[in-house]
Amino acid sequence: MRPLSLRDLVLVRLGVAVNLVIGQIVAALLLPVYLDSVGTILVAALVGPRAAITAGLVSQILNAVISGNFSWLPFALVQVVIALYASAAARLGLFRRLATAVPAGLGMGLVAASCSAPISYFLFGGVTAGGVTVVTTVLRALGAPLGVAVASASFATDLLDKAIACALVTVLLRSLPRTMAARFPALAR
Amino acid sequence: MIGYVPGRSPLHRAHPYTTLALAGAILLGAFALTGPLAVWLLVLAAAAFAAVGGVLRASLRTALVLSLPIWVLLFVLHGLLGAEPRIVLGPVALSAAGVARALVLGGRVTAIVLGFLAALATASPHALVEAMTADGVPFGRTFLLASTLTVLPRMRERAVQILEAQQCRGLRLGGSPVARLRALGPLVLPLVLGALAEVDEQVLALDARGAAGAARRTALAPPNDSAGQRVLRWTLLVLVAAAYAWKFRSMRG
Repeated sequence: MRPLSLRDLVLVRLGVAVNLVIGQIVAALLLPVYLDSVGTILVAALVGPRAAITAGLVSQILNAVISGNFSWLPFALVQVVIALYASAAARLGLFRRLATAVPAGLGMGLVAASCSAPISYFLFGGVTAGGVTVVTTVLRALGAPLGVAVASASFATDLLDKAIACALVTVLLRSLPRTMAARFPALAR
Repeated sequence: MIGYVPGRSPLHRAHPYTTLALAGAILLGAFALTGPLAVWLLVLAAAAFAAVGGVLRASLRTALVLSLPIWVLLFVLHGLLGAEPRIVLGPVALSAAGVARALVLGGRVTAIVLGFLAALATASPHALVEAMTADGVPFGRTFLLASTLTVLPRMRERAVQILEAQQCRGLRLGGSPVARLRALGPLVLPLVLGALAEVDEQVLALDARGAAGAARRTALAPPNDSAGQRVLRWTLLVLVAAAYAWKFRSMRG
């Protein structure tokens, strides 16, 4: 397997930066999503799975370094799964139209939540950062068992988050000028 | 306090791999230990680790600030909403099993955060890059870790500029969720497309500096490593493996 080229590395760095900076825009718009995997999905579509996995893992590590909270490192596994799913979706051409990107994003949300919910439940007792835990607490207060509350909260947030992320990546790819798009062979596949 | 704090403690003088191995062992150990006493002994070990590095007070303060919201949520979710039987503490009745679980989970997060804050405060990023270079780690990996952190402030600044420019052109950030979702495009597209347009320029600049070469680089000032530190790192690995073996054995039993 060939190592990542210099160009791939620069794109991975861009993907990591997008993952970490997009939260700033989302916070300004007060949207109830994270979109912290847009960079990973973009790199998967532009370069391929290895670069996307690298972008996902580096994002998770640098996010921990910047926030100081290293407890969430086990969630790096979710980034790997997202990278693999996004690469497969890109190969199938699902990011060419919004009509296919949104269902692909919903599928990605299902897969991501299937990974994140057990991590959240078994390692952290359902308490992770942000709004997911608030949803879990509300469901628990309404009488849902903890496992059901954690899974429901994860699925609800991940489905919305990944559907928007995939739609956003599709809009980005469609907005690329032809001269720029031609520089990414993975896009042509 | 999050980041490197210069100093002359034993941890500052240690090889960065040793410091990171200690923090990594706390992380892995925290998930291997399941009893409240064992987890809180690990919190004490993390505090001792920070004390050896001379950064206990600052690390502890930051660790408490970062883990406080998690503690609150843990006590609500497991203590207040946990299963019977309950213990009455003043005006509230808490789940006994839930409180025990919250103590384990909260201790776990506190130990990990404290351990890594101490490691970040005592392991110099420059020394880490030098150590990786001396070990023959490919340029790509060191480049990714070192350069992404420098790119982030620039990208954040650009995001703010785009936000302000689009607001000047009449973009509204408020309104219904759908309206706010629509505003995402005009903000994200210029940011990412602008960054993509610079990729080739950056590749050329890095190539001109010999970044694409496969030759092994020479570290200018590699940090000192010693047999004692290498033994410590291997010992930590064995201890973590033993903790997981014990955990899985007790789970099967």
